[in-house]
Amino acid sequence: MHKFYRFTLSLVLLLLATGWSMAQYTVTGTVTDDRSGEPLIGANILLRGTSIGAVTDLDGRFSVTVPGNDSGTLIVSSLGYVSRNFNVNASTGTLNVRLSQDATNLEEVVVTGLASSVKRSNLANAVSSVSSKELTGTTTLQTTDGALYGKIAGATIRSNSGAPGGGFSIQLRGISTLGGGSQPLIILDGVYINNSFQRTGRAAVSGAGGANQDDGANRLADLNPNDIESIEVLKGPSAAAIYGTRANAGVIIITTKRGAEGRTTVSLSQDIGFSQPLRLLGVDDWSEEKINVFFPEGRRPIELERFREAQRTGNFIDYEDFFYNNTALLSNTRINVSGGNERTKFFVSGNIVSEDGNVRNTGFERYSIRANIDQKISDKIRLSVSSNYVRSNTDRGFTGNQNNSGASIGYNIAYVPNYFDLRRRPDGTYPDNPYFAENPVAVTDHGINNSVVNRFIQSFSLDIDILQTKNSFLKAQVAGGLDFLQNTTLVYLPEFLQFQRGQANPGDVLWGKQESFNTNLQAALIYNWNLGNVNMNSTGGIVRLDFQQDVLFNRGRGLAPGQRNLQQANIQEINQQFFSEVADAGVFLQQEANWDDKIIGTLGIRWDKSSLNGDPNQFYAFPRASLAVNIANFEWFNVPVIAALKPRIAYGETAGPVGFGATFTPLGGTNIGGLLGSVVSTSIGNTAILPESATELEFGVDAGFFNNRIGIEATYYIKNTQNNIQNLSLAPSTGVNSTPSNEAELQNKGLELGLFGTVVDKPNLRWNTRVLYWHNRLNMTRLGIPTYLSGGFGAALGTFLYAEGFSPTTIVGTPADPSVPGGFTIWGDAQPRFNMSWVNNFTIARNLELSFLMEYRHRGDNINLTSFLTDSGGTTPGLFNPETNTLNPRPPAPFNNAGRWVQDATFLKVREIGLFYTVPMEIVRNTFGSSVSGVRLGTSVNNAFLFTNYEGYDPETSTFGAQAIGNNVDITPYPTPRRVFFHINIDF
Amino acid sequence: MNSIGAAALAATTLWACNPLQIDEVIDPNNPAVEVVLEDASREAVQFLITGLEARHRAYVFNVTTSWGTFGREIWYLNGSDPRFQTDWLGQGGRQPDRAYFGFGATGGGSWAAPYQAINQAEVLAGAATNASILNDRERASARGFARTIQGFQFMIPANFVFENGIRIDVADPFNPGPFVSYEEALDHAKSLLDQGFTDLEAAGAGPFPFRLTRGFDGFNTIAGLQQINRAIAARLNAYRKDWNGVLTALEGSFINMNGDMQVGPTHPYGAAPDLFNPLFFVLDAAINTLTVVHPSVLRDTTAGDLRVRQKFFPRTNPVIITTDAAPLTGTHQDQRWPTNETSVPFIRNEELILLKAEAHANLGQAGPAIEAINVIRAAAGIGEYTGASSTEALIDEILYQRRYSLWAEPWGHRWIDTRRYDRMEEIDTSFDGGSVFRQFPHPQAELNWDLYVEGQ
Repeated sequence: MHKFYRFTLSLVLLLLATGWSMAQYTVTGTVTDDRSGEPLIGANILLRGTSIGAVTDLDGRFSVTVPGNDSGTLIVSSLGYVSRNFNVNASTGTLNVRLSQDATNLEEVVVTGLASSVKRSNLANAVSSVSSKELTGTTTLQTTDGALYGKIAGATIRSNSGAPGGGFSIQLRGISTLGGGSQPLIILDGVYINNSFQRTGRAAVSGAGGANQDDGANRLADLNPNDIESIEVLKGPSAAAIYGTRANAGVIIITTKRGAEGRTTVSLSQDIGFSQPLRLLGVDDWSEEKINVFFPEGRRPIELERFREAQRTGNFIDYEDFFYNNTALLSNTRINVSGGNERTKFFVSGNIVSEDGNVRNTGFERYSIRANIDQKISDKIRLSVSSNYVRSNTDRGFTGNQNNSGASIGYNIAYVPNYFDLRRRPDGTYPDNPYFAENPVAVTDHGINNSVVNRFIQSFSLDIDILQTKNSFLKAQVAGGLDFLQNTTLVYLPEFLQFQRGQANPGDVLWGKQESFNTNLQAALIYNWNLGNVNMNSTGGIVRLDFQQDVLFNRGRGLAPGQRNLQQANIQEINQQFFSEVADAGVFLQQEANWDDKIIGTLGIRWDKSSLNGDPNQFYAFPRASLAVNIANFEWFNVPVIAALKPRIAYGETAGPVGFGATFTPLGGTNIGGLLGSVVSTSIGNTAILPESATELEFGVDAGFFNNRIGIEATYYIKNTQNNIQNLSLAPSTGVNSTPSNEAELQNKGLELGLFGTVVDKPNLRWNTRVLYWHNRLNMTRLGIPTYLSGGFGAALGTFLYAEGFSPTTIVGTPADPSVPGGFTIWGDAQPRFNMSWVNNFTIARNLELSFLMEYRHRGDNINLTSFLTDSGGTTPGLFNPETNTLNPRPPAPFNNAGRWVQDATFLKVREIGLFYTVPMEIVRNTFGSSVSGVRLGTSVNNAFLFTNYEGYDPETSTFGAQAIGNNVDITPYPTPRRVFFHINIDF
Repeated sequence: MNSIGAAALAATTLWACNPLQIDEVIDPNNPAVEVVLEDASREAVQFLITGLEARHRAYVFNVTTSWGTFGREIWYLNGSDPRFQTDWLGQGGRQPDRAYFGFGATGGGSWAAPYQAINQAEVLAGAATNASILNDRERASARGFARTIQGFQFMIPANFVFENGIRIDVADPFNPGPFVSYEEALDHAKSLLDQGFTDLEAAGAGPFPFRLTRGFDGFNTIAGLQQINRAIAARLNAYRKDWNGVLTALEGSFINMNGDMQVGPTHPYGAAPDLFNPLFFVLDAAINTLTVVHPSVLRDTTAGDLRVRQKFFPRTNPVIITTDAAPLTGTHQDQRWPTNETSVPFIRNEELILLKAEAHANLGQAGPAIEAINVIRAAAGIGEYTGASSTEALIDEILYQRRYSLWAEPWGHRWIDTRRYDRMEEIDTSFDGGSVFRQFPHPQAELNWDLYVEGQ
């Protein structure tokens, strides 16, 4: 009612104003960069407390007409620059503004709501933003998540393996859910995109187990990171509450580049490079003494014979080197065309990525085209569309876990001594591997593990200015989009392989076809008005999300020689067919109030319902509230050193969705003896299941010193989750094993610190630096069901403890320890004690730019079963002690417990180093003439160095892919590559 | 376009599809259990019967490989996971715990799987009883089949945990009954078998009114199923040491002293969408995961024993798996399965004849016991029994013959037999340095349920 009153009043005022007052004056001027003196195009000039303003043109010029004769304040701002205020009056006339670069990013605009955004300096949450330059400016990353490493305080990003084409897990502020991966929601230009780890079927064919051991890529890999303008990360419920049901694990908002008014620019970039394994471990040498110790008596003669033969011919093979240490070629080609006029702006990009892997016959290719168009349909109506088609083609090879099939390089060679030659013979055949069931050379040469994704992502946004007055506006926004993803996967082991020959039906092929189709629609009204000195922004709207999935896997065994078509198989099997359909709907309201950039408050609420919930028509409410106080903006504050000081506090609630099917008690289909049967499910659906909910209180302070040359951000959060879904184990003697329950509660508490600024700012040297520190402490505050162990491979090899008062990341294992709940010894904790990252950018003499990023992770233990395998196979480097003629036992004593495999995963990684040279304009002009407007050359390294005592290729690894718990188990992963690039960029 | 008009258009479109409307999602992948709980169709009952056959075979691989390993009939050599050796053989003093490797917290194939078959049979019995489309005879026949399978399946968890006892009141998933002793559990299985027999009696004569797979070929009549029911009862009564009961049950079974030793109902296997015979491994293949004959079985053979020739295949190259304690060398494979689609019998004439011998021997009736033993020996081609006719000597002989006649049947006879006669020390662990398990504790999930209920 109140709003309606305001609205009516504004209307009346508008009519009065237009009909009556014609007094006005004009301020004109220019906006330039204070270092280079270059004009700033697209800078904003706004009369404070009004919606009156202007944008600078190609020459940095602007003109603002101020109604009335009163004095006012013009706010001049430009992305990446510190904004400035100027008092103006009728006699001002011309205003020439020089803006300085914003080292602390206080000026950037952060999207915080479904239809609203706020300037960082007014933000009440610790929202992390990553700009295009930060994301891809230093080196070339395959995937967007890989490019976020170390750039977000509070994010644990983990590469599951080094296989080409992605495979990253992101956990924001600890773990919010026990099931699933606790992965954030990803929104690309307003589209809720699919970031799932889709099944590839490798684990089914290799025998490793479920799809979580496929080592598949998550589908964020399809997005070209160079298309991204900025990424904002809402890390917890206090910031993400307005996203409701799917925001428990945080929200990542990705905005792609758009065209700008002006000359059409064509930018061509080519990266060319190579990669090599970041770290190899080496393998243990053999001797007659070692053979006599390691092998059983009956086996020794043949082993000694093989060893002596190898000695005679000098034919020893370092298999780690043979399989992994191949130099791979990398190429990334990009073309961007952007420009526009007053009515139409466009950004068109094309991207070809072609990267080989360090294992032969592996690699990643991505073809992406994008068109982002903005069109002013009329003065009041704007339409923005973003279209992206992607084709990704990934070959990830055979690594990781396996069972019996031998179809994993690392697992297999853990057992092969270096004196036995597995390599291909001159006649093209392969020797049988007497140490395992398969010859991994043949698998690498002839096996296929491929995924081809065809994807189309389309978004649109229609903005309609319904009403605009001197100091208020009302607009409507209808936005939405779709994400269609089709993934064809193939896993193939030909019939002539050693293990296949040992099968009744040699030759195995598994074809997968997966389609997912997400659509979303949002409609909002935004009313911005002023209440005295207080700027009010009111938004309200509705949201609709639909997710459909259609999965079909077919398997053929007993293949005709060389054939992969299912119809060439003796045994043709439907391996899996699965459909799912999910619909969510929500309503939201949000009110922001900003008193003169001094006190900024927000209240919001979202109501959501979902077809996944026990009651699909029950609305759940997710409120939020936040307050930020810019102390330095108060007139009485007069500490010249402190340019900004902002204590802030925020509270919010969100939910995590129930898994599809949690409410069903199905009758499964089964076939036996030519008949179809129905079997009673071993799990009982819970028709009263609730979404997981989370509340978060976050508070902190942001401060800027020395004219914002140095800034700090400090945030503490307490995130409590309730109704966490876990399976309640029923007594298996009743013939059913489990039913989903809402019993568990988790608490994450943590600290995030950021220190950033410009250390040196001289004409010939500028040094920007940023240090981030964060830690998270997770605790199971309520379990609700009996203590249990889960994850990994059982107590003898290390598993995880789910007990009240413990973090579920606690690693336990043999021997038994009755004093610990669950009954086993505590050996470690997967959760790092803390993380730090350090980014540095040096601009030397204007043309040379050097940047590097390093990340340190302190503690956090892995379960290293690679060590377990190489110990069993006698290939662990240093295993045999030639002085004592014994195998070195792996501590801790008595050398038979699970503690042997739990290893500290502390590391320091230099993730990115880049050196770029911008060729001076004079040289460019003299060489290429006026057709070329800029040339930039550079070289960079991704994963340059790794320092760790961990006995693995990479302390970051997960054989189970992205999951909340148990994502730190190391089983002979694909080694992480070190990637070295040379760059050339030409602008036309 | 006028802005108000545009807004109005957008609003209309939006409300026309009512974006806030959410339809309840019906499982797009499976029928719901409700379709059988109330008034099931004939097809639904048929599907449950076939489903019961599928659940009925779920124990086969786990029980055969693990119990077979415990009784040292076989080794299940596994090159990919050493725990199949170290843990299953009890190397380094390992003793079964509540979440032992290969069984997990639910007891896996030796506990959860048989109970799933029992639950499936319970749902079948209920569905048949409530199905108005069926006549009384059809209802009784479905119930009789269900109870017969339940009687068989209850013996699996009972023998797995032995003296620790099992739950027998398991119809309500949220309110399972207490654990009862081994003896009480077997009595319960007996009452189910007797109930099943009575139900089948009530079903009259003639063919079984529902379709069974080829696993029941030769038995898919009411009378045939009754014979299977009595055969299972004979095995059960031997465990109950009710030797007269064994003989009575055998009379109603398909025992045939002059017949083929192999006759009996089976678990069928086949190509997809069916499952392959999980006990099948290609002979002489260069693989390192397979079942091999335990060296003590090879060592103790009688010269000329046809069973040895028929069942054990000598490999060209032995499979050697190194373990914590000792390397395990597998020289012989299981060659009972010509293809991976061969059915696996779950009770055979040969066992019934051995049960007859055992019952008579225990009743001090040496004559008929030796007569039965000689049927077995004749089939094996090793001549007549010439040993003493004391009960002890006959039991020795019968247990020896059972080792070869019932070798690695999907049950783990040797493990149970040595325990029945308190001879577990006869199991030879010298080849693997392991130990012999007497029984398993209750799976952790059972304990957890009791804790959960206490905590509520």
